[in-house]
Amino acid sequence: MNKPKPEYLRPALIAGAVAGLLSGLPIIGAGNCLCCLWIVGGAAVAAKLLAAQTPGLLTAGDGAIVGALTGIFAAVVDTLVKMPFQRYNLELARRILDRFSEYGTDIPSGLEGWLDLGSGALSPGWLLLGLFFSAAVYAVMGALGGTIGVSLFGRKAIPPTPSAPPATPQGPSDAT
Amino acid sequence: MVYAATVAGTVLWLAAILLAPWLAGRGADGAARIVYAVFAPVCHQDPQRCFALGGHPLAVCGRCLGIYMGFAAGLALTPFVRGFSRLALPRGRIFAVLILPMALDGVAGVLGLWRSPIGVRFVTGFAWGTILPFYFVAGVADLVLIRRRRRSGRGLEKSQGPT
Repeated sequence: MNKPKPEYLRPALIAGAVAGLLSGLPIIGAGNCLCCLWIVGGAAVAAKLLAAQTPGLLTAGDGAIVGALTGIFAAVVDTLVKMPFQRYNLELARRILDRFSEYGTDIPSGLEGWLDLGSGALSPGWLLLGLFFSAAVYAVMGALGGTIGVSLFGRKAIPPTPSAPPATPQGPSDAT
Repeated sequence: MVYAATVAGTVLWLAAILLAPWLAGRGADGAARIVYAVFAPVCHQDPQRCFALGGHPLAVCGRCLGIYMGFAAGLALTPFVRGFSRLALPRGRIFAVLILPMALDGVAGVLGLWRSPIGVRFVTGFAWGTILPFYFVAGVADLVLIRRRRRSGRGLEKSQGPT
């Protein structure tokens, strides 16, 4: 007997869109520098939304699922939001470097290489690679945030009932 | 299984943090830049706030390094504290106590109230990091169990066929 499957998609989409937007914006996106704040926080919010719309009790696994989905959606939105800003930032950096060279100032070593790497990152291949990597990292961070969210906003364990097995197995499990 | 995969992932992640300055020190600037770029979305990488290896900054700042080292330490403690069979999550109070020093230090830094030394950043990050594997391992292990249960439920339905 299985407990009814919670509807993960809607909370993950809402929280993922917001977390991705915050992550992609300049300056505000720096919040992710603190242990992926927007992603972990977004996943925790997704867990709260899931807890609010689910009549049954949530387990740590439900939090991990909704959190991981939030992270993946956030990675897609983050990549899309960052694209126009990346072009703008690179163009701005190029202009500054050009101005430096006009005044005969030495350009710090490695900066041109960094700009080349940044230009390469705008190609579709690099974008896909970046998206894949972001999705993997954000999914892991999201799973963590979703589990924390369930622990803070949802109830932790399903009490044993005659019709449903307990969510926290007492016996050893090879899953851990 | 989940525990072993988490240990492997954590070791790889920590190794990659050290790999960036090691590559830079050996003159492999291109490869080092790629490793630094990998960590850029999750850390500001300000060299003044990073520990250095051979004169080159690590791929993440002192606080992030503390979080990841704390995660590794917590992961090592997990089997002794929780065992492998319990999926219960830590209490909210423990979570609050461990996040508080880092949150206070971080907020005060952002507001410009004080500028904490890198050692304090590392320690506050470490404290917060130690609790994270207790969430992560429990969450992912339960996720695997949920998927298994659903798969076996679907298999049972198929084997019984349409009624």
